[in-house]
Amino acid sequence: MAEDLYSELGVSKTAKAGEITKAYRKLAKKLHPDLNPGDKAAEDRFKKISHAYSILKDPDKRGQYDRGEIDASGQERPEARYYREHAGGPEGARYRSSAGFEDMGDFSDLFGDMFTGARGGRRGGAQFSMRGQDAQYHLDINFLDAVNGTKTRITLPDGGTLDVTIPPGVSEGQVLRLKGKGMPGMGEGPPGDALVEIGVRGHPVFTREGSDIVVEVPISFDEAVLGGKVEVPTISGRVAVTVPAGSNSGQTLRLKGRGVKGKGDQLVKLTVMMPETIDDDLKRFAEDWRKSHAYDPRSKLKEQA
Amino acid sequence: MPTEHDVVARVHSLTVTRLRIWVSQGLIKPADETARSYSETDIARADLICTLEDELGFDEEDVPVLLNLIDQIHGLRSELRGLLEVLDELPSDMRSTVRMRIENRRRG
Repeated sequence: MAEDLYSELGVSKTAKAGEITKAYRKLAKKLHPDLNPGDKAAEDRFKKISHAYSILKDPDKRGQYDRGEIDASGQERPEARYYREHAGGPEGARYRSSAGFEDMGDFSDLFGDMFTGARGGRRGGAQFSMRGQDAQYHLDINFLDAVNGTKTRITLPDGGTLDVTIPPGVSEGQVLRLKGKGMPGMGEGPPGDALVEIGVRGHPVFTREGSDIVVEVPISFDEAVLGGKVEVPTISGRVAVTVPAGSNSGQTLRLKGRGVKGKGDQLVKLTVMMPETIDDDLKRFAEDWRKSHAYDPRSKLKEQA
Repeated sequence: MPTEHDVVARVHSLTVTRLRIWVSQGLIKPADETARSYSETDIARADLICTLEDELGFDEEDVPVLLNLIDQIHGLRSELRGLLEVLDELPSDMRSTVRMRIENRRRG
């Protein structure tokens, strides 16, 4: 306690006794521990001002202090007795009043609300511990990142970051739980988890059906008739696929093990594409061909409807 | 149990008259009324009233108001402590739920 006793009370060294008492009372009314139960800062401050006052209110001690015969620590006061130490115990129940919160009825959350976290801690009594709240985030990722897995970093609203490992094969709406990455706990309570809901963006070529990947691949008229090798995109790069002779639109080729996480397959749906412009050669061929090979692709349609 | 005289002897600036006035006003309720004996809580309370009036300079007529407010605070604090102790014994997922609702409520 090396501080200056006068500045502790906010008075000048020449203050009259009445001013000192007035200054002390003004501060003490604000800081007295029985008027601030549970507020350690107010209590510490109150100890200092009441100590300063105990010396300055006594003309003899004040004189000694002014002459430097005693330092600011002076003599310690006897241990103070505060009502609040009794008020919380079983004995204090006789005086305790519930007049102020009868109207709160069953809204017990209100009590916790007044007591938790941001509004200052509770002192004394049992330590209150609670697991932190789970934090919820949404993360949109590319189709291929969802299928093949990736590592990414989320920037949080508060400026922090969160590293997220996307496991291969994650699907739309799936929630990843990151242990301990949520809100901090109270007391001894562990932090909550971060819950990251995954959104998967569409892909211009690939779609997903369970563990299978579906791709529509156009083939030319002559490839359909004669068959041949066709280059097809897969989630792990391009591969050459043999299209059998006589293939048709709507036909599906199955590429084993080319699906999600190697479990599913890739389904290649063929579509026969006519050339953009029909030239004279083709026209002439079709006219000749029709004369002797006419067929009706709509015979089934007619039967059924 | 301390008697009326013990109380007066132990609390600086307390007199028998003052103590009896407070008892008649209901500010202090002797632990055993018929025997006029007091508990340590009563003594601390008498000490508090003396401090409020003599040291802090509150007016006599303001003190019952102050004590009423102080009593309400301790009542609330005791309720809160009990509530939190009950919450503390709940399974952790229930505590998380309660905690989340409290925070949602606070956000409005």
